[in-house]
Amino acid sequence: MPKGHEEETGREVLPEAPVIVLDHVSKAYDGFSDNHALEDVSFRIDKGEFVFIVGPSGSGKSTLIRLIENEIDPTSGKIYVAGKDLSKLKKRQVCKYRRSIGIVFQDYRLLPDRNVYENVAFAQEVIEAPKNKIPKEVSKMLTLVGLSQKFKSFPKEMSGGEQQRVALARALVNNPMILLADEPTGNLDPQNSWEIMNLLEEVNKRGTTVVVVTHNREIVDVMQKRVISVLNGKIIEDKKGGYDVG
Amino acid sequence: MGSFGALGYSFSQGIKNIRRNKLFSIASVATMGACIFLFGILYFLLVNVQYMMENAESNVGVSVFFREGITNDEIVNIGEEIQNIKGVTSVTYMSPEDTWEYYKSTYLNEELAATFGSDNPLADSMSYSVYFDDVSDQPEAVEQIKKLSGVRKVNDSNDIVATLTKINRALSIGTVIIVALLLSIATFLISTTISTGVSIRREEISIMHLIGAADYFIRGPFIVEGVLIGFLGACIPLSILYAVYYKVVALVVSKFSGLFITMQFVDIDEVFLFVTPISMLMGLGIGILGSSITLSRQLKLIRSFN
Repeated sequence: MPKGHEEETGREVLPEAPVIVLDHVSKAYDGFSDNHALEDVSFRIDKGEFVFIVGPSGSGKSTLIRLIENEIDPTSGKIYVAGKDLSKLKKRQVCKYRRSIGIVFQDYRLLPDRNVYENVAFAQEVIEAPKNKIPKEVSKMLTLVGLSQKFKSFPKEMSGGEQQRVALARALVNNPMILLADEPTGNLDPQNSWEIMNLLEEVNKRGTTVVVVTHNREIVDVMQKRVISVLNGKIIEDKKGGYDVG
Repeated sequence: MGSFGALGYSFSQGIKNIRRNKLFSIASVATMGACIFLFGILYFLLVNVQYMMENAESNVGVSVFFREGITNDEIVNIGEEIQNIKGVTSVTYMSPEDTWEYYKSTYLNEELAATFGSDNPLADSMSYSVYFDDVSDQPEAVEQIKKLSGVRKVNDSNDIVATLTKINRALSIGTVIIVALLLSIATFLISTTISTGVSIRREEISIMHLIGAADYFIRGPFIVEGVLIGFLGACIPLSILYAVYYKVVALVVSKFSGLFITMQFVDIDEVFLFVTPISMLMGLGIGILGSSITLSRQLKLIRSFN
């Protein structure tokens, strides 16, 4: 487990309170009890960290994201987020917990019948944010992702990179503590991929813990962040550096 | 946004759902409407037959005629004995003149009655009219009256009551079967409508779920959709039923009053005092029930595919 990490300046950062802790977590899907998607996985991610989770398809990366999102329950082990044991969350507490997490997907998952503004505002509407505050928050996020001029555009009128930036704005508009990104550059060309990664880094610098699941070796190697490598449902490496998993 | 905001959101999205899903929504409203319309018609028949039965019970009594040459004292004695029979509420002496007047006013129109002039074809027909509180006491009482000395003939109204009872029973059973069948169809259609609505908004619901929307916020629009379908499905047939009942009763009374002078209908306001809340309950109940059951199933499915 990481004891702390160096910022780009080279200054050693003191360890923060862990924001995500997985304690001997295993997950077997129904009917596959002998075939674990995850097996005895333990790690902690501190507040403000930027972490890549890498590994080949089917290695269990997305299962990790779904477990942290509390979409699925572990078969065994415990998951703590911001000190809360997820297994003890009551049904009505789960939706509140999810508001503290932003999520970005490979396929953007924007609503095609709503424009950029409406897609981002949607995230605020569904958590019943005060109506008068929504325009300000949405505008702030669209400025952050560089799409303030395109607020009236519909997803089909935008490039993949732009759509992913809208998805990022939507994930961030509720000011989450953690941002989970599941293959955020999977459908993008290199230039757009870097734009998204730069945005994620910017978001991280503002204090949000960022967890990125990716296949993209180049990005991982260049960014030199903490990398958790998963293979066949097990963590085979957890260190700062590049993409080492085959 | 607060709870009022959530309510407003649910309403606006519920209306949008109906628009997006027009065909199924119309089919659901139509089936629900047909169901409540039929329920109304059957209920009108039922309530009016019952009303006529009550009239029959209180107005159609038993007529007791005497043998020729009977004395006044004997008639008085017979009256006292009848009064003591179980279930008898009143015994009224009808002189030949009273009987003829009653017959004329009940069964003959003025023109026909006038042809008899001052003649009384029922000159020897003095009788007792015997009334019962519960018409089911009638058959036994009639048997006892027939055995009394001096009684020549007893005309009872068993046939009328028996016929009305049969109609009433058939209508009750028919109403239950048809309404149950139609309610099942309406529930199925509402369920299909909501399923289609959920499928159309699958991605939206999935994202809402992941972002942290409360359960009631996700379900709200679909419940509103079910409620609106139920509400429309009740209001439309109720309006039609009101007009139909009003017109049919007016028509029957104006056209057939000479033929069926004893036929009386329950007042329209009295009928709708019952039909309106029951229809609304049926509409809204099925709307809420149909949408809730389907939602639980569909949302579970969406969660498993997230």
